[in-house]
Amino acid sequence: MSEIDSLMQGMSLIMTPGHIGLMVIGVLLGILVGVLPGLGAPNGVALLLPLTFTMSPVSAIILLSCMYWGALFGGSITSILFNIPGEPSSVATTFDGYPMARQGRAAEALTAAFTSALLGALVGVLLLTFLSTRIAEFAMQFSSPEFFAVYLLAFCTFIGMSKNPPLKTVVSMMIGFGMAAVGMDTVSGDLRLTFDQPWLLSGMSFEVAVIGLFGIGEILCTVEEGLVFRGERARITPMDILRTWKKMPRYWLTLLRSTLVGCWMGITPGGPTAASFMSYSLARRFSKNRENFGKGELEGVIAPETADHSAGTSALLPMLTLGIPGSATAAVMLGGLMIWGLHPGPTLFTEQHDFVWGLIASMYLGNVVSLIVVLATVPLFASILRIPFSIIAPIIIMVCAIGAYSVHNSMFDVGLMLVFGALGYLFKKLGYPIAPLVLAAVLGDKAEDAFRQSMLFSNGEMGIFWSNPLVGGLTTAALLMLFWPLIARGIKALFNLRTRRVERSA
Amino acid sequence: MSTSTETLVGSRWVELGLALFTASLGAVIMYGSYESGIGWGDAGPEPGYFPFYIGLLLTAASVANLLGTLFHWRRLLEPFVSRHGFAQVLKVFVPIVLFVASMPLLGIYLSSALFIGWFMWRDTQREKRYGWLTILAVAGGAAVASYLIFALWFKVPLDAGPLGDLAHWIKGALK
Repeated sequence: MSEIDSLMQGMSLIMTPGHIGLMVIGVLLGILVGVLPGLGAPNGVALLLPLTFTMSPVSAIILLSCMYWGALFGGSITSILFNIPGEPSSVATTFDGYPMARQGRAAEALTAAFTSALLGALVGVLLLTFLSTRIAEFAMQFSSPEFFAVYLLAFCTFIGMSKNPPLKTVVSMMIGFGMAAVGMDTVSGDLRLTFDQPWLLSGMSFEVAVIGLFGIGEILCTVEEGLVFRGERARITPMDILRTWKKMPRYWLTLLRSTLVGCWMGITPGGPTAASFMSYSLARRFSKNRENFGKGELEGVIAPETADHSAGTSALLPMLTLGIPGSATAAVMLGGLMIWGLHPGPTLFTEQHDFVWGLIASMYLGNVVSLIVVLATVPLFASILRIPFSIIAPIIIMVCAIGAYSVHNSMFDVGLMLVFGALGYLFKKLGYPIAPLVLAAVLGDKAEDAFRQSMLFSNGEMGIFWSNPLVGGLTTAALLMLFWPLIARGIKALFNLRTRRVERSA
Repeated sequence: MSTSTETLVGSRWVELGLALFTASLGAVIMYGSYESGIGWGDAGPEPGYFPFYIGLLLTAASVANLLGTLFHWRRLLEPFVSRHGFAQVLKVFVPIVLFVASMPLLGIYLSSALFIGWFMWRDTQREKRYGWLTILAVAGGAAVASYLIFALWFKVPLDAGPLGDLAHWIKGALK
């Protein structure tokens, strides 16, 4: 099969000492940002972006994607040992992981978490290997209206499916779009929204927003809660690993279900966070040991971790094939691709064959490398969290400031980061989601291009978004997603009405 | 202490303020787009065509949030932040502001080292306060590490400020 051939090509491309070294560095940095409060996968990747400009795109994406895997693994360490989710997507892991650690079963919980994470990720990569070419081929027939409809679908899904209030999601998203619009208009080359301020000429970078919103905002929330790290000790011996692995096959159904949930939520922009919660609640509903959930049930660790990682991996599928990221981290990576001069979307598969298959091959290897590295370094990273907050916090803030500065070598960006930090704090406390802002800031220009091209085709007629079954279907699906909360309520009301009638007649 | 858990400001006020802020942000975007032209020019849609509607949506959603807050005003009683919590936040946020403000003047390395040093020196919650040597080692070490990683390894030059001028001057004097 051609996919296998391409994959082998990719493997031979990445099987060099240099690339494997990059993987280990990426994973270590990833675990570090996953473990540290205030840093997470999205801003870890954003901080590292300026450093990749001199690398070849393949090396750069290996570094960044491995950082992503590392961060996902690192998030589980803090959840289980410290009851602090390093990543929002590992909140669900704390429910049973921390109780297990309290009972002295930290090694078991960690091994189970990492192993199920690896399984989930591998299924995600398999999906990517065999589906991506097909989706890309299918998307080759897309033109501007179809692309805009796909973007619309992604954004509307965010609004309709989000746990946050829809209007707050809209506000956050529109700020992102507004940011993307500042500076040069990509179509006409004119400047806009700069208000004659020289520091706005180069536009507002999404990296700065990510660093401020996720980094500084998170730190401020952490200090307000007065978080004290009180962790359980953990050392993983080979015996612990083997003993846990012997137990794992018992949970095959949970693994399978969680993988499916994860892949689905990763491809649609539900994201890893939603996936892990959903998978946890499904596991609890169907488990025989339901009453044990929340008190240290192994299944309660396996379910969210599998879903988290399979969602994290499959989020790259729409990112590569359609240019639509399924998570905040994928959005930042997508921004990176554009900075390196690549055009995410279906043409990537024909024009950048080596890049795509190098990435996919690196995902197989990178996840295995992650598992080995993370199992070996748990005690090290757990001890990092015991460093006093008064040392670790200013260092994190310094790294954020340098990261924001190095995007454009501009002090203005550091100030901007501060503003976004304050905004991030308010957003987090008032239930405004941050991911849509990042997504819109990265995709804003592309979405606008697609929209304006479509308008050019149709001379300003909106009807073009229903001009053929494909684009019409996508647009309609987008609108359905947008109004889904209302529709769902309507259906429920209707259903209740009918059951009430049946009851009355009975 | 009764004062430490006392609510400083209610959620609804912050909710209101943020909605006003985002609404005005939308207004600014609309105004800016209007200036660049929001209509249909010779080459199709003008630069402000798309952002104008972004601004419009932003303002509309913000106003809706605002009205929502006002509508539920009596029920929205939960506190936004306690007096103690806000003091904690300010204790970190104000130094960050000063740090960022000092960066163009002192350069990144010096201001970073001072910032870290200040944080450690001020930490009075510990039983034993940090000694001068520890502070100097950590703060200086972090600055040196960032120089090694960014400037030397990844070739991303950071603004060294007066320190850079000094290094430059020493280099010149040695020649």
